[in-house]
Amino acid sequence: MKKITLAISLLASLNGFAQNPAPAGPQTRAVALTGATLHIGNGQVITNGTIVFDKGVITAVGNGDTPINGAERIDATGKHIYPGLISPAATVGLQEFASVRATLDFRETGSLNPNVRSLIAYNTDSEVIPTIRNNGLLMTQAVPDGGVMAGSSSVMQTDGWNWEDAVLKADDGLWLQWPGYFARSFDFETFGVSLKKNEQRQDAINALKATFSDARAYADLKNPAPKNLKLEAMRGLFDGTRCLYIRANYGKDIIEAVRFAKQMGVKKPVIVGAEDAARVVDFLKENQVPVILGPMHRLPTLEDEDVYLPYKLPGILQKAGILVSLSYDGEWWRTRNLPFQAGTAVGFSGLDKEEALKMLTSNTAKIMGIDNVVGTLEKGKHATLVVSKGDLLDMRTNVIEHAFIQGRHINLDDKHKRLYHMYREKYGQPDIGK
Amino acid sequence: MRKLFLTGMLAWGLTQVGWSQVTFPRNGVYDERPGLYAFTNATIIVDPKTTLEGATLLVRNGRIEAVGKTVSIPAGAVVADLKGKRIYPALVDIESDYGMPELKRNPPGGGRGAPQYDSNKKGAYNWNQAIQPEVDAGIIFKANVQQANELRKMGFGAVVTHPHDGIARGNSVLVTLADDRENNVVIRDRVSAHYSFSKGTSTQTYPNSPMGAVALLRQTYYDADWYKKAGKTVESNLSLEAFNQLQSLPSVFEVPDKLGVLRADKIGEEFGIQYIIKSAGDEYQRINEVKATGASLIVPLNFPQPFDVEDAWDADNVTLAEMKHWEMAPANPGMLAKAGVPFALTTANLRNKTDFWANLRKAIEYGLTEQQALTALTTTPAQLLKIDNEVGSLKPGLLANFLITSDNLFSADNVILENWVRGKQYVYQDKSAPDWRGTYNLTIGDRSNLKLNITGKPGKPEYQVLVDTVKVTPKVSLTNDLISLQIQLNKKQGGTTRLTGYREGTTLKGEGEMPDGKVVKWSATLAQPFTASAAKPDSAKKTAPEYGKLLYPFVGMGNLEKPKAQTLLIRNATVWTNEKDGILASADVLVQNGKIAKVGKGLAAPAGAQVIDGTGKHLTNGIIDEHSHIALYSINEGGQSSSAEVRMSDVVNSEDINIYRQLAGGVTTSQLLHGSANSIGGQSAIVKLKWGEAPQEMMVKGADGFIKFALGENVKQANWGDAVRIRFPQTRMGVEQVYFDHFTRAREYDNAWKAYNSMSAKERAKAVPPRRDVELDALAEILNKKRFITCHSYVQSEINMLMKVADSLGFKVNTFTHILEGYKVADKMAKHGVGGSTFADWWAYKMEVKDAIPYNAALMARAGVVVSINSDDAEMARRLNQEAAKAVEYGGISEEEAWKMVTLNPAKLLHLDNQLGSIRAGKDADLVLWNNNPLAVYARPEKTIIDGTVYFDAQDDDRKRDELQKERARLIQKMLTAKAGGASTQRPTFRRQRMWHCEDVEGVMAEGEEQEQTK
Repeated sequence: MKKITLAISLLASLNGFAQNPAPAGPQTRAVALTGATLHIGNGQVITNGTIVFDKGVITAVGNGDTPINGAERIDATGKHIYPGLISPAATVGLQEFASVRATLDFRETGSLNPNVRSLIAYNTDSEVIPTIRNNGLLMTQAVPDGGVMAGSSSVMQTDGWNWEDAVLKADDGLWLQWPGYFARSFDFETFGVSLKKNEQRQDAINALKATFSDARAYADLKNPAPKNLKLEAMRGLFDGTRCLYIRANYGKDIIEAVRFAKQMGVKKPVIVGAEDAARVVDFLKENQVPVILGPMHRLPTLEDEDVYLPYKLPGILQKAGILVSLSYDGEWWRTRNLPFQAGTAVGFSGLDKEEALKMLTSNTAKIMGIDNVVGTLEKGKHATLVVSKGDLLDMRTNVIEHAFIQGRHINLDDKHKRLYHMYREKYGQPDIGK
Repeated sequence: MRKLFLTGMLAWGLTQVGWSQVTFPRNGVYDERPGLYAFTNATIIVDPKTTLEGATLLVRNGRIEAVGKTVSIPAGAVVADLKGKRIYPALVDIESDYGMPELKRNPPGGGRGAPQYDSNKKGAYNWNQAIQPEVDAGIIFKANVQQANELRKMGFGAVVTHPHDGIARGNSVLVTLADDRENNVVIRDRVSAHYSFSKGTSTQTYPNSPMGAVALLRQTYYDADWYKKAGKTVESNLSLEAFNQLQSLPSVFEVPDKLGVLRADKIGEEFGIQYIIKSAGDEYQRINEVKATGASLIVPLNFPQPFDVEDAWDADNVTLAEMKHWEMAPANPGMLAKAGVPFALTTANLRNKTDFWANLRKAIEYGLTEQQALTALTTTPAQLLKIDNEVGSLKPGLLANFLITSDNLFSADNVILENWVRGKQYVYQDKSAPDWRGTYNLTIGDRSNLKLNITGKPGKPEYQVLVDTVKVTPKVSLTNDLISLQIQLNKKQGGTTRLTGYREGTTLKGEGEMPDGKVVKWSATLAQPFTASAAKPDSAKKTAPEYGKLLYPFVGMGNLEKPKAQTLLIRNATVWTNEKDGILASADVLVQNGKIAKVGKGLAAPAGAQVIDGTGKHLTNGIIDEHSHIALYSINEGGQSSSAEVRMSDVVNSEDINIYRQLAGGVTTSQLLHGSANSIGGQSAIVKLKWGEAPQEMMVKGADGFIKFALGENVKQANWGDAVRIRFPQTRMGVEQVYFDHFTRAREYDNAWKAYNSMSAKERAKAVPPRRDVELDALAEILNKKRFITCHSYVQSEINMLMKVADSLGFKVNTFTHILEGYKVADKMAKHGVGGSTFADWWAYKMEVKDAIPYNAALMARAGVVVSINSDDAEMARRLNQEAAKAVEYGGISEEEAWKMVTLNPAKLLHLDNQLGSIRAGKDADLVLWNNNPLAVYARPEKTIIDGTVYFDAQDDDRKRDELQKERARLIQKMLTAKAGGASTQRPTFRRQRMWHCEDVEGVMAEGEEQEQTK
């Protein structure tokens, strides 16, 4: 298979250098992966396991005795199979080069844009997309940013001809930036940034209350006239068809944001960022609010804070019984390091590896409401999975050898590999590494 | 002593003819007076060491004529009997801006506005606006009635004042605080020369960093020297002319913090100048280093207010260092005095000038003696600026600047009754006012069952009227012998009784009006005079205040004591030697005297060795970060296309918490690089992360000199907006020319010096030496292979270009850093012999990294390039082991070779592989003990050791954190008490430390900056 991939990549490099490989066609015959360690994504591990899938759906998962019924067998002995990782709160597909404005499509002007849909801007031809697949990310949540209500996100697959093709769940939720208890202020004397109490905060919250009250009342109308696109977009918040993703970091902000959402009748609030979540674990638990953590690859927020607190946070929340997912909030190319954040959490907070994996798979799927189709390797779910040379959470062994999205066998070529092989050959160097 | 005074008096008498002439005309009749005053029976504090009881002070014409116990009073003197009063020399502030024009700070840029490359000050002055030695404080001084009165009330009689603007600020002027025409107020101009690191109101782009300020000042010293010797024939430069004149005066350097004291002193050392340093009030935090400079200080009394820490969560935003400084700042003067650092005190930097006395008394309460305080406000400032023949004591001949006080000047009850400035009296309270205090029988009309109590201080009496047993506080005004009193005699009925009258002996009497309009007579007869009976509650609080311990550095996770080197034996660990032995299983490493003493199996533990069980653990070298910007006050001197003259060693910040955080990630050595804002950046500082040591102790001794160059989008300002399109270069074409231009000039400069230095002494005496140029010095060092380039680079064309430039000039580029397209020219790099220090996987953050690939390290390494993986980021640096592991993932580099990419290879690139980077007997004991294979994502350091000293210990980290929490709790309780006691508080603001990256320019951007864009 590696040879095939290589052949395809060479072909690609000959034909049109700066293009992504073609999306994979639909699964045409049943496939069985055998002999691998299966990481189910719900905490369970099956050694020497077999997984069979057909027409894009997993048909059997089990030990070595699992019948494969004439499916194409791919020997994965010694390999590790994982559910395709889900990367929440990302701008993959929405930005290409951070410094080139023409390539940025995640921040609309204005502060109240619940009607704006990231789905539309998701560029399946982004050269970033194939690079993240190669670390196991098969789904990415395309998330708008900016203003108070940035718009709605969608969960996208990392393969597809166009956004209609790639979408897994359209408009899964709306994004709210909670008015912070502290506001940043810049001191020109010291050229330093300091945080001060945000004096405008109550006004901002009052305005939000008004908007949400209006939206809720509007949602009761069957045929509103005039039609209000913004309020229309917010309907799903009150019947639970859409999440409300609230970006909040400070403990007080988290409490207020959750209280606000509940008070407004929002059915599925999710806290995103949550740097200070360790302080409000009881509150989060009591209110059963899930958390999507922002980047763990950050410095502690406070000078006197535990040096490793960002690394320990996932473990602290998980042990408290909170549904946690990991993200690189707002980032794009960097999301490919998501599995290593989970690995770091294992190393520094004594978290079990399979628990850490849940934060990239089943937990995330539950939060987004897609756990009926993805997030674990279970019968009936999408055959969206990766085969890795070894431990997916460790840099040294995260080498993706196969990826399937809804059973479609993905071409793992990417721009980086193409350039690698091009220059490797120029210098006559061996073909090693992923 | 008395004889001396008398002799002085006689000597003075000879020169005085009792009649003074002035140049200015009078409107009206002349009113010249003898100005002859005698103050008798006083306790006279002649100077902090000399107190005379029952002595006389004789003043004539604004000068002290005599002081002593047997002074004969000449006829015609106005005599004041000061029995029970004291006379002190008036206080002197030598760091004043009294009477100076208000500085109009230009609205800070903040954005990337159009840069200004030339000075806006027209004339034959220095090229840089921040260098204004020509400023003559005497010329711009204007007396200011309001400011003078404020200072006089506090007890000051004279100040040395200068405009606090610019890096070279010109001279200062000694003035009195009299309300008089400037001709009489100015005592001496050109008293001292003043310098700072702040460019003040200068709008010129250069310098925009503290290291740029250092470089500019150093260059100015060299320019001035050249000007004196030869430059005058080439150009006229009034600034340099003035700068040279300043050199005979005492030099005062204002610095922003304790490390600034060390920075200023380093400049002084280079030019043989011992600066007097105006410090910031935090010197106690590095008192040994400050003392070692030998500098005298001018110290402010700007003690911080307590923080509002009532909310337990919000209070977390206040750092322990801030809280401790609140507690310890008042002890700063006392600690300096105890350490024997000479210093003057100043009113500068006070939030309100009126805080002066409260803060001074607080400093005394915290350990400064009264005598030390008086010295720091009189004789020391006068001696420091050599004005002790004018002010600072009460010796004959000096200005008659003195205070008449009711009590010990430093006592809380003291009142400054009069402040005499150059023989002119300013009364703040009537010194001969009778003591009215006592208990009086009060009769108002037909009411006689009343008592009036006058208590309090003589100058500040307090009144109370007893109506039967009810205490009523009246409103009273009492001046000269007149009294006016209003009182509500019956609260229920209301209505105010108003009494007016006068004093007659010990009786007060007069007429008044009852609330109903009835006119009555009243009187109050003294029944019992006041006795200072009640024991003062002061005695209770005599115990010296307690405060916490110092930390090294002064940060929450600092050390109570600086860590010391130990003899360590690490046993039975997996040892990654980075030598041909490779990775040794179950090996021992012995560390002695900061070095690796032995590597082997079954090593015996020497006496006193600490044995560490390494079973199941991995021992490696400390990580070396080739590209770091932590522990720095500033990154870029972006004011010009070349800033080769700036040195990062001038701005190392030993108090940065990121030092500790990176130790916790296994980093032991970092190259602190200048940023990438210009084609030729500044000189690197290579430091070991010795948490607790001062900057100088962190430097790797004997390391080669390095300099940062940069190519591409940052130097051509491609992403800086449309306003910034002026600085050359704006294209990669221009970048090449910047190099050729600078190196051509450097070559010519170097040749000129070589020619000059090869002359005979005779020839040299006649010849004009070349102008020393600190920028070209650094470039000439590159040409002479004494300084080495680390160049920020991205795309292949520019990488190729710099190698060709270097080849044509006969030197090698040492390292390309970032070098994300290095893989495209890896063969050329190998041939040139340049190393590559790259990111593991960064890309897509800007246009020039669109072809960056994570296979870069592997491709370059296999092509024969020495490859290291670096951070350029305070966060990434603490998991560089994980970044190195990505070379295993991408490109299949072996684990051993990948590990070298963050240890031995960067050591090679820094020319330090003879002492760092591998585990071999004789090398520095910079080691990390890991709980796992260091390349595993699960690995974490258990101990990080530098030069045999444990600087990070995972277990000790927990203990330190507990201590930190306890110390925080103690201080929070103390602050809450302070607030309850009425102290005004400051709200917690959360100072987020600036995280520096390559592109960050001080004063530019910062808010909303995208981390991704700044690599």
